[in-house]
Amino acid sequence: MEVMIKMPDLSTTDGSDILIVKWVAGVGDLVERGQVLLEVETDKAVQEVECIFKGTLTAQLAPAGAAVPVGAVIASIEVER
Amino acid sequence: MSKDNNPEFLLNLLERMIEIREFEEGVRFLFLEGAMPGTIHQCQGQEATAVGVCSALGKEDYITSTFRGHGHALAKGLSMQEMLDELFGATTGCCKGKGGSMHIGNIDKGMVPGVAIVGGGIPLAAGMALSLKLNKNPGVIACFFGDGAVAEGAFHEAVNMASLWNLPVIFVCENNLYGASTRIDLVMKNTTISERAASYGFGGETVDGNNVLAVHEATKQALTRCRSGQGPYLLELLTYRRVGHSRRDPGHYQPKSERQDWFSRDPINYFASRLIADGLIDAQGVKELKDTVIARFEAAVKQAKRAPMPTLADLETDVFAAKEPA
Repeated sequence: MEVMIKMPDLSTTDGSDILIVKWVAGVGDLVERGQVLLEVETDKAVQEVECIFKGTLTAQLAPAGAAVPVGAVIASIEVER
Repeated sequence: MSKDNNPEFLLNLLERMIEIREFEEGVRFLFLEGAMPGTIHQCQGQEATAVGVCSALGKEDYITSTFRGHGHALAKGLSMQEMLDELFGATTGCCKGKGGSMHIGNIDKGMVPGVAIVGGGIPLAAGMALSLKLNKNPGVIACFFGDGAVAEGAFHEAVNMASLWNLPVIFVCENNLYGASTRIDLVMKNTTISERAASYGFGGETVDGNNVLAVHEATKQALTRCRSGQGPYLLELLTYRRVGHSRRDPGHYQPKSERQDWFSRDPINYFASRLIADGLIDAQGVKELKDTVIARFEAAVKQAKRAPMPTLADLETDVFAAKEPA
């Protein structure tokens, strides 16, 4: 089953978009719940976004350097069930 | 056999701590999924303080809590269901969905809804203790707060009055070394918080807050003092939060070596190892306990997601007290 990863609500003060600094997990990687997928920068800090499913990363749907709103789909995971 | 060597009691302490850890981890992922509104302040790593204190309290005793109150609530006997319903804002939540994460509580179970203002619960606890004393009620208040609250004027005013009037309060300082992102030694020269008690004329001690039995024992002794009218006591419990101050805080100010050092003294692993060494449980048993707790959590989440949300008609209910106290 394919599930989508959305940008979590990490922003602090002004609800601005969140900048994707770099992808840590690559397409095809096996990922665990809690594993770091990517690093993002909010108006307050650079921080890590963790995976919420166990499976295989099938796509990065927003590139490093892009700024996306909270809730935007940023990756897809093929979940093992 | 005393209660404290009773296998059922010891295993229950472990289960309560695992319940808090898995509740917090589960909620963390609900937040990341976007399923849970608002922010959350979590207590992974501080399970032994909540469980150690609350396991020593009786039904007649109350706790006050902070914005980081999920662990206190579970330890005081609130159910995962009433807490998850509250976190989702449902009318079936412990505060009918009007409190949320930072105001978790259930007075019928001895927990005043959390006071999210730093230090705000401390004078409240002193006031409650005064009420208990005047009504000759045998209860004691255990007042949880963090190291950051000690810099608030409210702390000093309340502990002074509690001491002066011999009020039955255990002031429980969960010293996790950081007030939000600020390390304790940047805001106080004397970082041994329990020593504050002496300057107000009452007793205090510093305890390993990652050792659930040490916390339980220290609380029991403090309770005996409080119940016999000897006034308040200050328990400083040294512990560490494994996560950021809130879900929007990556916690980068915690040095890696410090994190690793504290993680090696994780309260759950520490206590589980001890029970395994004593032959009360094995590694498989600990895993089964964890799986059972996770299954309970997942079932509660399912139900919470279907729980009824408040309507406009609920807006003005529970705002004012009834004219005549019940």
